Amino acid sequence: MEKRETMWESYRRRGLSRRTFIKGCVALTSLMGLSSGMVSKVVEAAETKQLPVVIWIHGHECTGCDESFIRSAAPLASDLILNNVALEYDHLLSAGSGEPFEEHLEKTIQAYNGKYILAVEGAVATKGSGIYCMSGGHPFLETLQRAAKGAAAIIAYGTCAVSGGIQSAAPNPTGSAGIGHFIGAKDVVNVPGCPPIPEVMTGVVMHVALFGKLPPLDSQGRPKQFYGNRIHDTCYRRPFFDAGLFADSYDDAGSKAGWCLYKLGCRGPETYNSCGNIRWFQGMSYPVQSGAPCIGCANANFWNQGPFSDRLPKYGPLGDIDKIGAGLAVATTAGVAAHGVLSVYQRSRRDAEAAESDEVKGGEDK
Amino acid sequence: MKHVVVDPVTRIEGHLRVEMQIDEGTGKVIDAISSGTAWRGLELVMKDRDPRDAWAYIQRICGVCTTAHALASVRAVEDAFGIKIPKNANYIRNIMAASLTVQDHLVHFYHLHALDWVSPLEALAADPVATANLQTTVLNAYKLNVTGYPGISTEAYPKDFPKSTPQYYATVQAKIKAIVDSKQLGIFAAQWWDHPDYKLLPPEVHLMAVAHYLEMLDKHRELVAPHVIFGGKNPHPHYLVGGMPCSISMDDGNAPVNTDRLAIVDRSINTGRTLINNYYIPDLLAIGSAYVKAGRVDGGGLAKKCVVAFGAYPIEEYNGTTNGGFFKKLLVRCNGVVENFGTPNVKFIEFNQEDLQSPDTISESVDHAWYEYDKQGASLHPWEGETKEHFTGPKDGTPTMWKELNAGGKYSWLKTPKWHGKLAEVGPLARYIVIYQRNKMGLLPDPTWAEQMMLQQIDMVSKLLNVQPEVWMPTMVGRVATRGLDCQLSAEISKFFFDKLITNIKSGDTAVANMEKWEPSTWPKECKGVGVYEAPRGALSHWVNIKDGKISNYQCIVPTTWNACPRDDKAGHGAFEQSMIETHVQIPDKPLEIVKVVRSFDPCMACATHFYNAKGEKIQTVTTDPYTGTHVEK
Repeated sequence: MEKRETMWESYRRRGLSRRTFIKGCVALTSLMGLSSGMVSKVVEAAETKQLPVVIWIHGHECTGCDESFIRSAAPLASDLILNNVALEYDHLLSAGSGEPFEEHLEKTIQAYNGKYILAVEGAVATKGSGIYCMSGGHPFLETLQRAAKGAAAIIAYGTCAVSGGIQSAAPNPTGSAGIGHFIGAKDVVNVPGCPPIPEVMTGVVMHVALFGKLPPLDSQGRPKQFYGNRIHDTCYRRPFFDAGLFADSYDDAGSKAGWCLYKLGCRGPETYNSCGNIRWFQGMSYPVQSGAPCIGCANANFWNQGPFSDRLPKYGPLGDIDKIGAGLAVATTAGVAAHGVLSVYQRSRRDAEAAESDEVKGGEDK
Repeated sequence: MKHVVVDPVTRIEGHLRVEMQIDEGTGKVIDAISSGTAWRGLELVMKDRDPRDAWAYIQRICGVCTTAHALASVRAVEDAFGIKIPKNANYIRNIMAASLTVQDHLVHFYHLHALDWVSPLEALAADPVATANLQTTVLNAYKLNVTGYPGISTEAYPKDFPKSTPQYYATVQAKIKAIVDSKQLGIFAAQWWDHPDYKLLPPEVHLMAVAHYLEMLDKHRELVAPHVIFGGKNPHPHYLVGGMPCSISMDDGNAPVNTDRLAIVDRSINTGRTLINNYYIPDLLAIGSAYVKAGRVDGGGLAKKCVVAFGAYPIEEYNGTTNGGFFKKLLVRCNGVVENFGTPNVKFIEFNQEDLQSPDTISESVDHAWYEYDKQGASLHPWEGETKEHFTGPKDGTPTMWKELNAGGKYSWLKTPKWHGKLAEVGPLARYIVIYQRNKMGLLPDPTWAEQMMLQQIDMVSKLLNVQPEVWMPTMVGRVATRGLDCQLSAEISKFFFDKLITNIKSGDTAVANMEKWEPSTWPKECKGVGVYEAPRGALSHWVNIKDGKISNYQCIVPTTWNACPRDDKAGHGAFEQSMIETHVQIPDKPLEIVKVVRSFDPCMACATHFYNAKGEKIQTVTTDPYTGTHVEK
């Protein structure tokens, strides 16, 4: 358990050529949204840094994030798990179970103290000292705190780990919350989404593996490479929004033509995620492309922002799209201006919700 | 007597703990406990939501059988509103359901279950030349050449075939050796690899199966491509009350579904058929037959006592479930119950809409679950379900440090569902037993092509094993084998509905959504509905009550709740516990046989641990707003 090999060593062990190794680095560079000038840095990182140990723990979750992770095509799931990281603990894939498996977790935490990546899937159940989410005979909350202590980096995978997710939606029966408040002063990479896109999940691990540090993060701890744009900004249907061409109902002429889904409740304009550019299954689709409005699954608290059929102007100061559509179209052609308007509108919407939070306390979901 | 705990049971969905009392002298399991150790309370979250959004919320019960709960949910809401979905929507949903089953079963066999049967360490002793020969032998001997759906083939020849060169197996073996030598076993760490069960198979079988494990880890994603085309993503594709959101147009390049997009679905379906026929089925039968030959026909659970299934795949659009429409259009009429399978007292009882509603048919008890009823010892129909959570802690230890759970008291977050007061097993095995028995008793007139295929599969496996279905089916191996058969069937069903979809579009019908009852103003003031679906793990049902345009009650009875439930004081053990009790354990400290038989059910614990009431009290609110920060309000 002492020795950890580098990515280059791993390539050599597999009898792969230097050329293949460089090709792999080029692919990773583009995967991580870096410019081609970064290739040499990626090569250097892969040659000199040790392979990271990953410990993956599960709280209140549905395993959808784990499932998304193993759907990654670049890197392929087998390459990542068997050659680029050592996934020493994971409830979904690990062979072991029970006592020897729990011992292995403790040994790994000790042997790689300060060096391992902790991946967390799922929310923390806080009510009743954590009795609503037990594993190995003790609360998940305890496992999280113990494993977080020695972690070099912590990745919160999915909206549940980031902000509580579905089980924290009103009335939050188990007092569930994101992991942020339970791991001390550690830095966390927040990778929201329900679930996140497979290649976004694996890309974050690869960044840490190669560069030995966390990817650049935004103010909410999200990797800028993957969460820097709103879906609206990168949506292939954006030109129809700008031109004022909308689907008015499911399966109408606009839906068939692939026009903008804004009026059906699409949350793309307030959701920062890679659905519009990376898309799902290597560019195959994303909900909007399949005719389904975005539900904003990468947003904190999105489960309490239903009904999903309510379109955004109903919340904010923009008014009804039917009345202001033309004006909005003019404004959005300026792009930057539109971004400003929507950001202001989002903020005011959330402020308004914060003011209404007293009503939520009645156990009623809005 | 030795008390043995396995917690966590891994390679499943969610959090499961099992405990056993094992007689060390004989290896006999005297008593066994199955405990769901987490509870999320999603039914409470459903209260007061817009019924059109229910699928999105309740789909998050499970990301492994993603789509299963969304489908049951839209069916329930459409039943409540009296919505008949367009033909295309029915075909598309069936393709999505069948593709889920294909991918889910394949991942279960290779990635969640295989490492209980084969070991990477044993593979190191294999001869690559002998392994290549073995691969050829396995393909010759164990490929099940059944008559599938006789549709139009778009594929020139199968694109995926197992590699059978010595060089290939030598490369894979070298890779495994390097991992073992590095002392970083990763996902292969901490298993009981020295268990004698791993010696049951020759090293070459281990190498072949581990190679296929790795290949399928990169392939399985392709099998759910239909979800990404029709629902935008996977896990958790999008659905729509009234049909599907993916409009069809052959006139628009931007359309969610056009020829280009359908070609992707077609490719995925072909890949599924190929992977199952050339990898999954031969591997499964090669390993399974070795176990049967070794006399390993235990772990039958409740298969000999009582199995339940609801029926699968409405061939055409139908008018509701509560009124029986669903049950009249089934491609697979496994809607039934078989009691005492394999005995002279065997019984078949058809399951239909009355059974979903009768309080005498389905009820639940909480004798051993962490809830309490007003009337102690009662069994209640889900419609009248009460829920007061009542966590009593373990028998030995503290509420947050368990040593031994209380078998005589409460010990699980799962309730105990019952069929006419009896515990039952659900799943692919239940579906195959129902079809087999129903046909045997002459109660399956004019079998559909799918039912004929199931009967043919059973017949071919019986001949291969040289034992009667009554012998091999109600066992652990039978449970695993019928899952593989179900997978093979589901790939053909995907193709069947794909052809129907193409034919219907060809006729000029491109509708995917019925929006007549989309607006809340068109809904009755109060209504209720049921949605059923034969999910990969078995009979799933969702109930919804809607009042004043909002969900007033939401209930699910989930396959793993049937199978993994705690005991009932009158009816005895659930299927998990019964199967553990019937399993012989060679080394009590290393109960590989136990985790193997438990995993043969493909446990999905997050699905199972929900309770049936929406009248919960607010406990506390956690605000996670990015502008105001996260804080917990007591």
